[in-house]
Amino acid sequence: MRRRVVITGMGVITPLGHSPAELYASQLEGRTAVAPFTRFDARTMPTTFASEVKGFEFHRYLKDTSRYSHCGVNTQFAIGATKQALEAAGLLDEGKGDRGRFGVYLGSGEGAEDFPALMNSVGVATEPGASTADPAKFCAAILQVLDPLREAEVEMHTTVGHLGEIFALDGPNIACQTACAASSQAIGEAMDLIRCGDADVMAAGGAHSMLHPLGIAGFNRLTALSQRNDSPRTASRPFDLTRDGFVIGEGAGIIILEELEHAKQRGATIYAELTGYGSTADAYRMTDPHPQGKGAIRCMAEALKDAGLKPADIGYINAHGTSTQANDSAETAAIKAVFGPQAYNIPVSSSKSMLGHLIAAAGVAELVICVMALRKGVLPPTINYQTPDPDCDLDYIPNVAREKRVDHILSNSFGFGGQNISLTLSRFRD
Amino acid sequence: MGASARRRAAITGLGFVTPIGSTPAAVWDALRSGRTGIRRIQGFDASPLPCHIGGEVPDFVAKAVIEKHYRKSLNAMARPVQLGVIAAQFAMADLGLKKGALPPERFGVEFASVMGATEINDLARMSKACSIGARQPVNMEAYGRDAVPEMPPMWMLKYLPNMPACHATILYDAQGPSNTLIPNDAAGVEAIGEALRILRRGAADFMLVGGSESKINPLSLSRYNTFAPLTHNNANPTTAVRPFDRDASGTCMGEGAAAFGLEDLEHAQKRGAKIVAEVVGYASGMDRGHKGPGLERVIRNALADAGIEPGDVDHVNAHGLGVKKMDAFEARGIAGVFGRDVPVFAPLSRFGNMGGAAGVVELLCSVLALQHGELPGTLNCENPSPECPIAVHTAPTRPVTKPYAVKTTFTDLGQCAVAVVKKWEE
Repeated sequence: MRRRVVITGMGVITPLGHSPAELYASQLEGRTAVAPFTRFDARTMPTTFASEVKGFEFHRYLKDTSRYSHCGVNTQFAIGATKQALEAAGLLDEGKGDRGRFGVYLGSGEGAEDFPALMNSVGVATEPGASTADPAKFCAAILQVLDPLREAEVEMHTTVGHLGEIFALDGPNIACQTACAASSQAIGEAMDLIRCGDADVMAAGGAHSMLHPLGIAGFNRLTALSQRNDSPRTASRPFDLTRDGFVIGEGAGIIILEELEHAKQRGATIYAELTGYGSTADAYRMTDPHPQGKGAIRCMAEALKDAGLKPADIGYINAHGTSTQANDSAETAAIKAVFGPQAYNIPVSSSKSMLGHLIAAAGVAELVICVMALRKGVLPPTINYQTPDPDCDLDYIPNVAREKRVDHILSNSFGFGGQNISLTLSRFRD
Repeated sequence: MGASARRRAAITGLGFVTPIGSTPAAVWDALRSGRTGIRRIQGFDASPLPCHIGGEVPDFVAKAVIEKHYRKSLNAMARPVQLGVIAAQFAMADLGLKKGALPPERFGVEFASVMGATEINDLARMSKACSIGARQPVNMEAYGRDAVPEMPPMWMLKYLPNMPACHATILYDAQGPSNTLIPNDAAGVEAIGEALRILRRGAADFMLVGGSESKINPLSLSRYNTFAPLTHNNANPTTAVRPFDRDASGTCMGEGAAAFGLEDLEHAQKRGAKIVAEVVGYASGMDRGHKGPGLERVIRNALADAGIEPGDVDHVNAHGLGVKKMDAFEARGIAGVFGRDVPVFAPLSRFGNMGGAAGVVELLCSVLALQHGELPGTLNCENPSPECPIAVHTAPTRPVTKPYAVKTTFTDLGQCAVAVVKKWEE
């Protein structure tokens, strides 16, 4: 008999709220977080808006923030989310449990480069009109201006490492970066670590912020972002015919995964059971998904099989739904291939219509919304849905939340590079 | 599931692109002869930096070796990605597996890598459009209007950590699980552990496992020079990095990649694959504050996963940074399990610290040792440090006498990962 894995705590720092309850309430209200950039002056960028975390108070989550003041916001958000999640689970106190059996698995990104230091140092090393920079001049210049403490925190292993260090989680300490699939993949692999007995408790999820000048420029050059600058609030419009790209966001989310007997023995509140995980690759292209969703089809099917569920058991699908032309039609095709004619009877929605795309942190934030939907019996809508697309013809819960009690939810996350992740969540039954 | 019922994982083919060689034979020859790949950096003029030596892959030209139909994709690959893709290609060639030879759904890819540092040339024209000088704010109005259009369209894709794995899935039609782990020096061994777990849970029959990274570029090397414990002994590149030595002066950065097939044993035997070694155990965990007992616990967990005792181990393959505090920590962790009874071999003084590639390349050094039946010596450990209560093995080579090797690795935040490999015996 396989070890079962349940969710006993959750925490989020997102553009739509700094707690799971606030995030979920915003989603049910159809509130959007998308607005013009405030993090830096982006008025002349191809895209001038984003979904930003606002009002984050780091000191609420750590007694002494000074050691972590050089961390990027990605790490600070992760610390906030983890504190909430461990507190909710009743596992914040270091004395609780065998900490060598408590681990962390994140899908997480890099800290932001020191943009002025980098740009100015390349500038110093580049002759007017030249298209190459002199390495020695660059090294000499940037060495003068980099802050060592800040640079150490740009490294990709720091976010997950700091969580282990701050919260005394001494078990497996792992992080992956598979773009937009990362935190869902982290949750799936963390579940497997518990199933196979390597850990009893895993803080799993992700954190990311690419809301810096080079990150936005990079996505703009790939023409991945919406450029609906005259109407940011309606820019994220998954499955709508007039969608023109995703809206970038930032944030962090952590769920506490726990082995069922471990949770029962300590009388923990069980929010839901994580029942299935599917992981596949498109093996197709660097950025575009396979147009018929070949990898996504098998991914959803594998998650269902892993959970021992039939397609008819699924009451709601939280789509990846990025609001790009390619994703939304491919994902729709894949859902139809997996669920057959039944697909038209299953409500599907995209949290990104309100939240934007939290990149590596997207999957976990959306899974938290799914857990809340499972418990509260109200499904979040897809907002900004105005013009139907003949290629996207499912029930996307247009614009208004819907009451529906469901027992099993499927959540999809697909990433640049062709990684596909599906997770199934189930109402806990002993 | 008991160890007897569990699926076994065979290593079935090796690919290297390293500072000391890019074939298994060349790497083995360099390991035996005691040659190091650390040198004064030649790829660019790094002389303004306090540490300007490193482990550099000599004469690496991806264009000359990449599969012809894929050559145009090189525009979207920075050096760390190229190193990884070519190592994957070399591993698949060593395996004798072409695209389509394996059922795509049962073929996964697991890599260790991190975000590449931007090439400064990619920003050259951009910088002239928006920078008004050192320590000045960037002109953001000009940045958005004039600099952004100068950014190479594929800029972001060149550097994403998951790109080596992504290209490998496309090149070989690998449609199984694909993941990329990022915890720096620990990532390689973590990737091996995850691939092992994926095989054991039955989600794939064959995993292409790899690690790739390059820290040898102007931005990375400048950054590491501000915060990493690097040696300033530039005058003596071949002896500067001294693992577990009394006179350790710091480490240096490196670059490289390696990849190998990790395969369900029965699957490998059925297709008549040449088996090189087995991965039999893995564990990871934190040692907060680099005290030692945390690493010791992770080593014990890995031995338990492998179902073996410390006495079964031929040698420990250590990270051996050549940084006094870190060497003392690692030695305490190793000594806690093995005392001075098991020889310790540290390959890093031949490569520099390859970060995401380190775990994979270093572990494969032990695989070569098990395969050839002799253990090379640790370079530059001439006067073992009294702070390091372990038996560091130095030249000459010594015969392998027991079937198992243990690979330890860790990060500067105390993330530890340990794998156990076993000599292949029919």
